[in-house]
Amino acid sequence: MRGSVFSTLVAYLKDVLWALRSVWGSCLTAVPYLFGSGDLHREVTELYPDPISSKTPDDLPAKSRGFLFNDIDRCSGCRECEKICPARCIRIEAEPAADESKIWISVFDVDFSKCVFCGICVEVCGPNSLRHTREFEGASYSNNEMVTRFGRGWVSPEQRKKWAAMRRQIEEEDGVRS
Amino acid sequence: MSWMSPWIEGIGILDSAPAWVLAALSLIVIYIFIVVPCAALISYLDRKLTADFQARVGPNQAGPAGIFQPLVDGLKLLQKQPRDPVSWREAAWLSVHTMALYSTVAVLPLGSAVLLVDTDMSAFLPFWSALVLALGTMLLGFSQSGVPGWFGGIRVAAQTLAGAFPALIALLCSGVAAGGFRWSLLAAAQGTSPLQWTAFANPFQFLAFAVFVVSGLVTLGIPPMDAPFSSTDTHGGVSSGLWGRRYILFRLGRFYGFFLWSVIAVTIFLGAWSLPFGGSDYLREQGYLRLLQTLELLWLLLKTLLLMILVIWAARVNPRTRVDQVTDFAWTVLSPFALLALIGASVVVAWGYFQ
Repeated sequence: MRGSVFSTLVAYLKDVLWALRSVWGSCLTAVPYLFGSGDLHREVTELYPDPISSKTPDDLPAKSRGFLFNDIDRCSGCRECEKICPARCIRIEAEPAADESKIWISVFDVDFSKCVFCGICVEVCGPNSLRHTREFEGASYSNNEMVTRFGRGWVSPEQRKKWAAMRRQIEEEDGVRS
Repeated sequence: MSWMSPWIEGIGILDSAPAWVLAALSLIVIYIFIVVPCAALISYLDRKLTADFQARVGPNQAGPAGIFQPLVDGLKLLQKQPRDPVSWREAAWLSVHTMALYSTVAVLPLGSAVLLVDTDMSAFLPFWSALVLALGTMLLGFSQSGVPGWFGGIRVAAQTLAGAFPALIALLCSGVAAGGFRWSLLAAAQGTSPLQWTAFANPFQFLAFAVFVVSGLVTLGIPPMDAPFSSTDTHGGVSSGLWGRRYILFRLGRFYGFFLWSVIAVTIFLGAWSLPFGGSDYLREQGYLRLLQTLELLWLLLKTLLLMILVIWAARVNPRTRVDQVTDFAWTVLSPFALLALIGASVVVAWGYFQ
């Protein structure tokens, strides 16, 4: 159903008027930001990094996700975080230590040049050893410096032999007991 | 070279130089001392105003309140290495761009005494310049090794063709009122007070003025009609493969188009360079030619910068228009209104003639 020429023309002019009012209205919206006083005129961004920001890590929101920290004493070496990490930034090498119940985590590297700070690894962490800190300033000149190492270090062959001997001894004692 | 004589007399060294050397020198001097500083000033004001609108701080590190930011940006871009050898399309763009930039500087009306080219065709020369710039930009887009550049090139061509028609009609309106397209004639047709400016002579002329400014945005792809150049839409479009010195040239060309268009709009619609309160006539009678040139130039530049800031204001608070909507807008809204303004302006002129 097409309207008459007159109604089409009126609709067209209404459109043009609407566009003009829209542009004019948005121009007026900007005026208080420019000349007004109070909240609108105040800049919401702040200088960073100089002068040193007034915000400290304590001022960050409660759930802010900074760099990861792994408490290696509580870590069980289950590799859940390594498996779930979407950026594959966690690398874990672990082996049985003196006791079957104990795991020696020789390597626990988090590559923050790959990390997207999604926090999934923290959610899946069973012993709650992996958590976010509130630190966020980590700029560096090379990718190697972006890797944070939480591991205990590679095990020497002598140490491994010693652990094996200890495990055998424990097994023998268990066998004697039973 | 008559307009240059008051400037040269005091120096003495250049009196014996041939005319073409003087012309080339004057173009370079105008470009370096007028166009480039205006580009720096406008880009600084643009960034600061936009920052204010968005409750940000804006540039504030280079110099007091960041006023040296354009200089620093330019130096940073200058020290970048060129990546590739220049392809033939890029070479065509570079030469076309440079020719358009420097040749149209001669056309710029910068005061009653600074009119290098003042012929019956003067007011049409900016169209030539805009079309040539668009052609060069299109070639630049096609020379990119990627789809954003190709699409940007086609969009530039479409926008320029769409915007040129209403702009031409709007120019005719002022020509009809002035009786010709000579810069001096167009300026003389307007009085010194704002009420005697062509834009405020009657509603049709104001409509023509508005159409002229907006269609200039469409023709030259100035924000908010800059879809072919926008980084969010087409990765920078025609400029997606540019940086360093070529990018400076590109940005200067874009600014120069905007500046040229604003100067033309001020000249043909907003009272040109005539100083308020009859200052121009007084200074000419008293023989202060150099002072006259300087004041007229400053007055013209002031009006131009104010017009540019108004355009930037509207551009920064309104969303960028999609390219097909821009061409639609130019053909279905700007063109009919331009024709309406032309008919109205002609009727007004004829009415005055038969009175």
